[in-house]
Parts: sequence; structure tokens; C-alpha cells
Amino acid sequence: MNRQGDSLQRRLTRAEALKLAAAAGGAGLIGGRTALAGAARMRLTAETGALDVLDWAGYGNDGGQTMFARYIAQHPKDKPRFTYMTNESDALAKLHAGLKPDIFRPYVGWVEYFATSGLVQPWDPSLIPSFKQLNPFMVRAGRYQGKQYGIPADWGFDAVLYRTDKVKPKSRSWGLLFDERYKGRIAWFDDLGMLVMTGLYLGFKDPWNQTDAQLQRAQKFLISKKHLVRLIWSSETNLWEAFGSGDVWVAYAWPNDWVQMKKKKLPVVYMHPKEKPIAWVGMFMLLQGSPHVQLAHSYVDAWSSARSAKWLEDNYGYGHANTKARPSSSDLLHALQLTNPRAVTEPNAHLDRDIPRRALYAKTWEEVKAA
Amino acid sequence: MSARTEHGAFAGTSRRGRLRARLATPGLLGLPLGWLGVFFVAPVCIVAAYSVDALSLFPGPHQVTLSVWRDFLHGGVYLHLFWKSVQMSLVVSTVVVLVAYPLAYYLALSGTKRKYVLLLVLIAPFLTSYLLRVLAWKVILGNQGVVNTFFAWIGLRAADHPISALLYSRFAVMLVLAYVWLPFVALPIFVALENVDQSLLEAAADLYASRLQAFRRVTLPLSLPGVVAAFLFVFIPTVGEFITPSLVGGTSGYMYGNQIVDLFGTGFPDWETGSVLALFLLVVIAVLTGIFARFLRVGQTPAR
Repeated sequence: MNRQGDSLQRRLTRAEALKLAAAAGGAGLIGGRTALAGAARMRLTAETGALDVLDWAGYGNDGGQTMFARYIAQHPKDKPRFTYMTNESDALAKLHAGLKPDIFRPYVGWVEYFATSGLVQPWDPSLIPSFKQLNPFMVRAGRYQGKQYGIPADWGFDAVLYRTDKVKPKSRSWGLLFDERYKGRIAWFDDLGMLVMTGLYLGFKDPWNQTDAQLQRAQKFLISKKHLVRLIWSSETNLWEAFGSGDVWVAYAWPNDWVQMKKKKLPVVYMHPKEKPIAWVGMFMLLQGSPHVQLAHSYVDAWSSARSAKWLEDNYGYGHANTKARPSSSDLLHALQLTNPRAVTEPNAHLDRDIPRRALYAKTWEEVKAA
Repeated sequence: MSARTEHGAFAGTSRRGRLRARLATPGLLGLPLGWLGVFFVAPVCIVAAYSVDALSLFPGPHQVTLSVWRDFLHGGVYLHLFWKSVQMSLVVSTVVVLVAYPLAYYLALSGTKRKYVLLLVLIAPFLTSYLLRVLAWKVILGNQGVVNTFFAWIGLRAADHPISALLYSRFAVMLVLAYVWLPFVALPIFVALENVDQSLLEAAADLYASRLQAFRRVTLPLSLPGVVAAFLFVFIPTVGEFITPSLVGGTSGYMYGNQIVDLFGTGFPDWETGSVLALFLLVVIAVLTGIFARFLRVGQTPAR
């Protein structure tokens, strides 16, 4: 609690502190740190203006309004403004190019990168009433050096989806994505997760931090198997088209893809590979110097509510960090293993984590695609 | 006094006229040159600065280096991809020109009164969005698409063994690019053929040239500048194409343009390598255009 008080104090200038002290009946300067933090909150509640949100397409006024409906009800005059990101790399480029959003939503593997970049600041969970309902393992993944830099939101798995009428796996393994028998029917995912997954398959000790030799081996392996691959998808709709039309039978996929293919009456299995799936969690992050700290907390609280969480699960097919929410679809409940709060972490899955040499990983993966 | 005034007035008009004439050229050229400077030269300079790390996306110390250019030229991976894209574009451009020429020939020289109506029909696909035209091919070429369904219906292929190479393949990219660019190719050839002086063909006939000889010795050389222009119209944009391959290309149809886009924005931003690839494409295309333009001028000689 004091930690958050400290972070708020640091953001106040001396003049602001004096005003706050007056507003708090002088208690700030007399009563010390705790009273000053309380006064700071008073100031924060007086924030106005549009909240600038950098988020993924589909989560703004283009269909995702239910996720922040409570925020709109509480702040009808301070509606959010949206800019869209196609991935974290795109968001990073936008931030460095001068875009100044208040919040954005990278995935868990980027928490450490952004926390150490100086671009973001920690949240004050005490200002987010729904925070207590969030999955503790995901909450922990949003922490860096004891500070809550990421507020968990949506989540899911990376695993293997395949058609049972066309594909007979030799074993329950990521290796199905490299199976010569299904040449021309396999889809990979356009993401550095491919290198991590290859590391898992090849038995590397730490696939997120491979040595130069391991990275070269993973790259060589992927290039040698690329001739089997029909498609490297970058958006789920691409995958659904290819899988739904029968062009692809085996895919690196998310739980929602399994649900969508089941809806198309395709006989599909979402495999839990023996090397374990990779779990991902979306993390709201608060930008350094944001003039709308309170509004940002209020927005994320709306997103974190059980009502929003259920809507996300029912409509977008992703899991939500709020443990009170349950989707209407029993298929999705099963795919996300929602009855198991530890589903995203060991021993069930590898929770995605920081890739210290991300630039090198990206270069290695791009060369696989170009080869 | 009066004469002097008149003379002075004439002299003034003439000075103003000369001044106006002197200002006309820079005045007229100023806007397009300014446009080019701001929206072409300056961005290219910025991209060049990124390619040698003179500018960097990330704050902090950085120094000018040619290491990314060295990696690009010695690495081979991206050059190989570039060559693959050039080959694909050459095939597309050649095929499209060969298909478009007879079409344009018929429209321009058949003497039909409806040629402009037919020309309008030819360019009608432009009335729909580029994206829609490309996406429509997914419906046609997919496993359960029009072509495969038709083959299954006539018994040429079993329904559960469709021709899978039709979509998400290099073939799909080349087919769709050819379709998309066909009207662009037909137009310059049509214009070149329509400008052919009919009396030259009559003269060829008077000199007992057969229709084939007249075509080879008169029509084809005179229309060659249009053909070269049409070829360039397709070749230049398709080498760097990225929308079509990203929609119908799959792994084997991945092109150089896709790589540039991905380097700038996938995995981790690598603006240095992305800039090197973009500049290399620009330079190669500029050189090729220069060579073709020279050919274009040579091609015009017989018409004079």
C-alpha cells in the first residue's frame, strides 16, 4: 500500500502537493505520507478528458463497447479514444514514434521489456475494485520487481488443433506441426512463439532464452520443415478460412479456434501436447506521464469486472482473468480449463515469459519466413 | 512625350511579359517538384538514414554503420527472396502483356464502333475495391471453391481430393496479380495501337506486304513503346507487392514486399533491415526503369 502511495507522491510537483495539502485540510503535510496519498486520490478523482487507449482491433468502438460499458456509465463525458495496434512490435514503434496513449495492452511476454523500458509506470491495484477477483497466477505474471505493471485481462493457450478424420497423430506432441505425412496441410503462426515452441519440441532447457547454437538449430529445423507448411497465419480469420475450407488440417492455434471449427461441425481436437502448451495473458499497462491515471484505473476496472469477462468469453472466445466469470459454452470452458485456476502455469502449461534477446529471435524468425 | 509614353508602355509590357515567361516555368514546375521533394525525396532520405543507423527508432546512443547493408548483401536470404519476387513479377508481366495485346489490338484496330464501350467493360473491375477483387479469388480457388467443385462435378477429381495448389501457393499469387493488372496493361497498348497511322498499313498493303508482314514490320514496332510501358506498369508494383501474397500466397507465395512489412512491424521492430530492403528495391527498380525507358525511346524511332 505504501508502495503505491510512494509512486503517486513521485508524480506530484511541490505546488500540487501544497494544493493537495490545502484540499485535504492541511493533513497532507502534517499527517505525512499516507494522508498525502489520500489527497492525491482526491485530485485523481477530479480528472477529466478523453482517455487515450492503444488496443487491438475489435476492442474499441468497433465492437468491444461492452468491455468498457461501466466506464462510459461512470464517465459519460470522458469517453475513450482508440488507436489500434497490430502487435506489440507495432505498439512499441508507435510509442517511440511519439504516440502518447494513456494505456495499452501487450501480452505477458512483454511485461518485463516494457517495465524496464521507462515507457510505463506501475498501477495502483487499490484503485481497481475488481482486482481482487483476478486470477492470482496471472496477477503475479503482471508484476515486475514487486510492482504491478500489468493488469491481466484476456488469456488463452498456444497448442495444436487438428482434424480427427484426416489426421492420426503418432503422439501427443507439438511434432504434429512438423509431420511429413501432412505436407501442405499444416499452418504455423507468424510469431516468435514458433521459435519457443520449436525449442520446447527439441528439448531445450530454456526455450525463451536460447543460446546462439540453439537458435541456429531451431532456425535450421524450421527451414527444413517449411516445405510442409501451407500457411503462416497472422490473424485468426485467416486460419478459420483455411481450416474451415479444408485447406489446412493441422494448425498452431488458440482455444477459440477449436470452438469456431466445432461450430462449423468439423471433427477437431485441441491437443494438449506433452511438451505443454504455451499460455498467454493480455496485460493492461499504464504509460509513464499519463495525465489520466484515475480514468485509466477506472477503465481497467470496467474491463476486469465479471460482467465484461463473461461477455468476452462468450463473444470472443478468449478466457478472462476474472475468476468469477464463466462462459456459456461448455466447449470453451473445457478448452480453457476454466475450472482449474492454475491452468496457465506449471505443471499444466508454460506461461509465456520475457524473451531477453527478442531482436535476435525476431531476426531469426524473419529469416525462416524469407528462406 | 506621348510616343515616349507609348514606347515606355510597350517596353513595360514586354518586360512584364518576359518576367512572366521567366517565372512561368518555375511557377508551373514548383508545385510538382515541391510535392516530389516533400513526399518522395525526403521520405527516401529518412529511410536511407534509418538504413545506416543515422536515425533510430529507439532513443539512446547510436552511430552510423553500414553493417546492416553488409549483412543484407552477404547474408543471401533476403536477396534470394528478392530474386524469387522478380521472377514471379517477370512471369506475371510477360503473361499479362501477351494476353492483353490481342485484346487491345482488337479494340483499337478492328474498327468496331463499340470499342470504347468494350474498353469500359474491360476496366469495369476497377469499380470494385482491390481488396474485394483479391478476396473473391479465395472463393474461386479454395478447396471447396468454384474450380474444385466444378472439377468434382464433372468427375475430373474426387471431391475429397481437390487440387490444393490452387490457393495459398505461388501460382495463386501470380494468377491473381495477372487478373488485377490486366486492365492496366491493356490501356497503354490500346493507346499505342490507336495512334498507329492507318495510312502506313495501307502503304504496306500497297507494297504487297501480307497482313502478318504488315503487323511484324509496321504495327508491332510502332506499338512497342506502349508494350514496354505496359510491362513496366505491371512489373514495378508487383515486385514489391504484399497485399495479394498475404491473402492468397501462403508460405510459398511469400514475397519481398511482405518481408519489408514484417521487418517493420512483426516480432520486434527492425527498421534498419526493413529500410535496407526497401531502398534496395527502390534502387533496382529505378535502374530497371532507366534501362526500359531507354528502350522506350529507341522503340519510338521508327515512328518518326
